[in-house]
Amino acid sequence: MNRTYYKNGIGGNIFDAANTLFMILFAFLMVYPFINLLAVSLNDGIDAAKGGIYFWPRKFSLESYSYMLQNKNLLKGAVISVLRVVAGTVTCLLGTGLLSYVVSVRNFSGRRFMRVIFIITMYFSGGLIPTYLLILKLHLINSFNVYWIPHILNAYYMLIIASYVQDIPEALSESASMDGAGDLRIFFQIIAPISLPVFACIAIYVGVSQWNSWFDVQLYNSNRKWDNLQIMLNRLLNEVQGEQELRDAQLQYQKFRNMSTVTLRAATTILVTMPIVFIYPFFQKYFIGGITIGAVKG
Amino acid sequence: MSRVAADNILLDKDSKNGKSKLNLFFRRLRRERELWLISIPMIVWVAIFAYYPMYGVFMSFVDYIPGKEIFSSQWVGFKWFMEFFTSPDFGIIMRNTLVISGLNLLIGFPAPILLAILFNEIRNKYFKKTIQSISYLPYFISWVVAASLLYSFLGNDGILNDMLMRLGVLNKSVSFLGESKYFWTIITAANIWKNIGWSTIIYLSAIAGIDEELYQAGAVDGLGRFGAVWHITLPGIRPTIILLWILAVGGLLNAGFEQQLLIGNVQTREVWDVIDTYAYRFGVQMGRYSYGTAVGLMKSVIGLGLVLLTNKVSKKAMGLSII
Repeated sequence: MNRTYYKNGIGGNIFDAANTLFMILFAFLMVYPFINLLAVSLNDGIDAAKGGIYFWPRKFSLESYSYMLQNKNLLKGAVISVLRVVAGTVTCLLGTGLLSYVVSVRNFSGRRFMRVIFIITMYFSGGLIPTYLLILKLHLINSFNVYWIPHILNAYYMLIIASYVQDIPEALSESASMDGAGDLRIFFQIIAPISLPVFACIAIYVGVSQWNSWFDVQLYNSNRKWDNLQIMLNRLLNEVQGEQELRDAQLQYQKFRNMSTVTLRAATTILVTMPIVFIYPFFQKYFIGGITIGAVKG
Repeated sequence: MSRVAADNILLDKDSKNGKSKLNLFFRRLRRERELWLISIPMIVWVAIFAYYPMYGVFMSFVDYIPGKEIFSSQWVGFKWFMEFFTSPDFGIIMRNTLVISGLNLLIGFPAPILLAILFNEIRNKYFKKTIQSISYLPYFISWVVAASLLYSFLGNDGILNDMLMRLGVLNKSVSFLGESKYFWTIITAANIWKNIGWSTIIYLSAIAGIDEELYQAGAVDGLGRFGAVWHITLPGIRPTIILLWILAVGGLLNAGFEQQLLIGNVQTREVWDVIDTYAYRFGVQMGRYSYGTAVGLMKSVIGLGLVLLTNKVSKKAMGLSII
């Protein structure tokens, strides 16, 4: 609101002060859990288990982190997490990007049909169990492919990208087509480069959701071969499994005898969260555009 | 000359020559060959991954045995639905679903509206931007991480216990996550913490769309700053609020899934088991596919009914609808 029109009386000033104070408190509530966990993760394990660490480690130790760096299982989980983000994002952008192009070509006779068969999937779905049985049937179980194949095309992202692609002047693709360029070429050389902002936005949504996924790992890849970081953290949350993990670590490496489940969990949580926090400042200018387009057109 | 214009001229020639429509169809197909070649794999994908599971919903009406075709299994009609309605779990499951989702609606729905208005009243642009950015962060972390944060905050050796004991409120630590009576509060707070910032975006963009002249006119007419919020900002975002309200009510039976599985444990199941987790437990974990699907189908049907109903009510009462 442009407040230059309004005089700010005493009431307004009091409100402003209270609002500022409230916002600071609010922002604190949003980030404090992370700060606390960071402090715990940098603390000596046995000492941390006594509790009472708020902002700063009491007895500084990098033990949990050095354990994580040596834990081959965890590193493998990190690799799988990254691979699934890359594979999931690339295939979804390619697939859904092409789909958005197809439903935006104005004189394509199948345009409406394609649009409708995908929009229907936004409102109706078979639900958890039929999907689970389908994945079983397709033998996608216990494989890496289950992470990306079911997510190649997405109707919601299609609408967002298509609403952007439709605003590109038709003359551009028209002239390319007169020069003999096929649709694939038009898409890759003209449409995709122009639509880069919207692709960046979708890439973020897809990448973050791939990074954060844990339930499909539990549901489909129970043989632990394709464990990502999230599911490993999930196991640490479980007290019994967390203890087991810790005992294994201590059997293997004598020097980690001061580690506790509290610090191990905290350090793993920080490891899982860090990539998001680090890339967050770079991607945040993109995602707001996307959600507002989606809200208007969806 | 564009592709269509070329086609039309050819069409004219064709009709003069008395050639059939079929000819035009083939010409069109040839022109659109590449587009169809791209489309076909997509149609196959959507048929397999979206429509085939929809067909799988018919499992709810048969006694499905894995490996057999659905329609060659024995037809049982509404047996599974009746079993769910009459089971002793039904009351508990419905109560949990409605309470958790009701709390989300009651507190989680108005909270971002209020926050968006407060954001909008911040005078310093940079301060506003910083706070907004921070508020979106929890939305981007996984529920696993959120659960881990909760564990370390609420656990026996967590800081809440430590704080309360230092203040003398408690004399021994309480297992907040292990006792049923705290669960609804915890999950509501966690849901709000995670989503409140993100949900303001849509309201803020609605506020940004309000005509600036209205505020000028309001100032001329002697509206104060608070008057402007009440008489201009709030009515300005009313359609957005109603739209989101209809959608939220339609999702009343979606009480969450991941958060229940992650924050809940065996001791507290009587308060967290909602329709979705119940369907998962019976349908997948116990292998009762038909029963689980029936429970899920019942949820979808009621959800659709709720959207239609709220839509109708809001249309009657306020002349606004989404359908």
